[in-house]
Amino acid sequence: MSRIACLLVPDLAIAAACRADPDLAGLPLALSDGVGTHAPVVAASAKARERGVTPGRHTVAQARAIAADLVVRPRDAAVERSAVLALVDVAASLASRIEAAADGAVFLDAEGASHLVATETGLATALVARAARVGLGARAGVGASMTVARLAALRGDVVPAGTELGFLAPLPLSCVAPDPTLAATLERWGVRRLGDLARLPAAEVGTRLGPAGAALVRAARGEDERPLAPQPVRGAVEEAISLEFALDTIEPLLFVLRGLLDRIVARVGLDGIGVARLRLVLGLDDRSRDERTIPLAAPTRDLKTLLTCLRIELEARPPRAAIVRMTLAAEPASVRAAQLGLFHPPGPAPEQLATTIARLAVLCGPDRVGAPVPVDTHRPGAAAVAPFTGANGATRPSPGGCHLVVRAVRPPRPVEVFCDRDRPDFVRGAGLGGRVVGAAGPWRLVAEWWSDGACARDYYDLELSDGGIYRCYREQRSARWFVDGVYD
Amino acid sequence: MSAARALLDSLGRPGDIRLGTARPDAITRLPTGLSVLDEALGGGLPRGRITELAGPRSTGRTGLACAIAAHATAKGETIAWIDPADALDPDAAAKAGITLAQTLWVRPRSTEDALRAAEIVLGAGGFGLVVLDTDSTRSGAGRWPRLARAAERTRATLLVVAPRRDAGTFAALGLELTARRVRWSKEPGQLGLLEGVDARIMIARSRIGRPGRTLVVRQACA
Repeated sequence: MSRIACLLVPDLAIAAACRADPDLAGLPLALSDGVGTHAPVVAASAKARERGVTPGRHTVAQARAIAADLVVRPRDAAVERSAVLALVDVAASLASRIEAAADGAVFLDAEGASHLVATETGLATALVARAARVGLGARAGVGASMTVARLAALRGDVVPAGTELGFLAPLPLSCVAPDPTLAATLERWGVRRLGDLARLPAAEVGTRLGPAGAALVRAARGEDERPLAPQPVRGAVEEAISLEFALDTIEPLLFVLRGLLDRIVARVGLDGIGVARLRLVLGLDDRSRDERTIPLAAPTRDLKTLLTCLRIELEARPPRAAIVRMTLAAEPASVRAAQLGLFHPPGPAPEQLATTIARLAVLCGPDRVGAPVPVDTHRPGAAAVAPFTGANGATRPSPGGCHLVVRAVRPPRPVEVFCDRDRPDFVRGAGLGGRVVGAAGPWRLVAEWWSDGACARDYYDLELSDGGIYRCYREQRSARWFVDGVYD
Repeated sequence: MSAARALLDSLGRPGDIRLGTARPDAITRLPTGLSVLDEALGGGLPRGRITELAGPRSTGRTGLACAIAAHATAKGETIAWIDPADALDPDAAAKAGITLAQTLWVRPRSTEDALRAAEIVLGAGGFGLVVLDTDSTRSGAGRWPRLARAAERTRATLLVVAPRRDAGTFAALGLELTARRVRWSKEPGQLGLLEGVDARIMIARSRIGRPGRTLVVRQACA
């Protein structure tokens, strides 16, 4: 027999609103469908309901008349969707077969999680704890079917195998949400509990009440109409929010983005992975969209680094209008793993390294951080960078000795060279100058003659009276002199 | 008898430890790979400390830094090379023996950014050697205490390569390349080949040993 776990959030709309704005938690809160005093209230927090506010019955004006301290916010579908996706991420962190129901409940194959959590009680506890990490007060339950698991989750219970009927029997009929007509008929029959309904023969009930009646009997017995239908759930981690007022300055915008990033980092952290790329979609006040992608040098979960990347991007290219809506999507990626060697010095921890590289990329530019790579060219001083993985190399014999190396001058610095009988005699340029006291050369270098970047140069090593030893060249085409390196 | 004395010196003599005082950690060393220099420094550059390598242009300070970095990568260390002047030539570095895959090359756009980058790299931990190769560190006077603390916390050797020493008392070791002789394959004034440079290194400052010693390192063209 299969075992299904269910994770759900009672009052999802309220929970999602409180997740997006933690200051709302604990307040008498009502959500309206639209703005204005005539908009109907569609959800209310426990404190608002205690004061008499009833969703579906009252308008905003009526609710405010009932409870003067009521806080009313328009319902935000984007925020609710983000909350449901966060619940899916929580389930996906413990199981691979997951189905998200239309009402926001998430079902998962409890047997698939047994290798991570030994007991079903432990699984329920882990689900609730992880949901709390992403800012949702969820409940979890485990049962033999989705129906049982959902009802168990509402009570925060685990129903052991074989005890489903006993668990369902005392529950009221409203737990399976019957059609009002069917509910009235069953009420007339004296069927008030699920146990009463489960005892009736399904075929006979089907004859009298139709297929819906038979389905109701099967639900009362804890049987599902269909098995769990797993869905692909992994993709970009997305958080969205609609703003009450348009934002036209960067600091408030970053404040809101920080909240979105905070929630994304919490979701990504469930799997111990990082963010490799951010995609920011801004809904503007002029009804247009501003979409931009921010690549990161390495996967990271460091909130400060991610926020700095966003700030730099927004400061470099400010949106053309005020912002009323924003969606931030993060592409998750594994933080590079490294195997430490018993006889090697410990290198940087992969996650710490990723964060460090991302911070350095923000400081210096992404193309200015990495492992140096020689370029396959005859042009001296050419360089490129490759992604730095921090791979620890095997210990090997030291090369030994000390060599004079060339410090590259990028870009080559133009200098004036005065020659005596075709030999360099005096050099003058920015930051250097003097009589030539030692020289070697010339060496002719002709490279990339087949391309636009062709170069034909005569190279000299010149020791000047200022103490420096320079690598200079004369362009054959222009007869101009440059310094492109200093021996040091 | 001397072996027993050496053992007591390394482990501590009975009664040496005062209650309530922590025994200072022994300073470990990052060997430079140059036996003359290692012998003069007592094993190499101190880990968790700032070492300054200063000297005028073309005295071989970059070559010496490359030799130290090459030896560190050969021993499996991950290193960082912070290069605000964008002066590192990967081809020359590889010829000097540096394993490029173990080298994080950071090219900040200013000295101030370079000092900040050094602090970030040191803070990450796991880097055995961080080379800060700059033409000037004067703008970073306020950064030295932070860099010294970060290096000490992560046990990394911060090697500052600059024309002159600027870290003051925050540097545990100061090496100065004071004089040199350029070797040409022919007499000066005639066209020939640059063979190398003889660099004279003076231990100008040492908080963990005796300063003042001078030694000569012969550098050949790669």
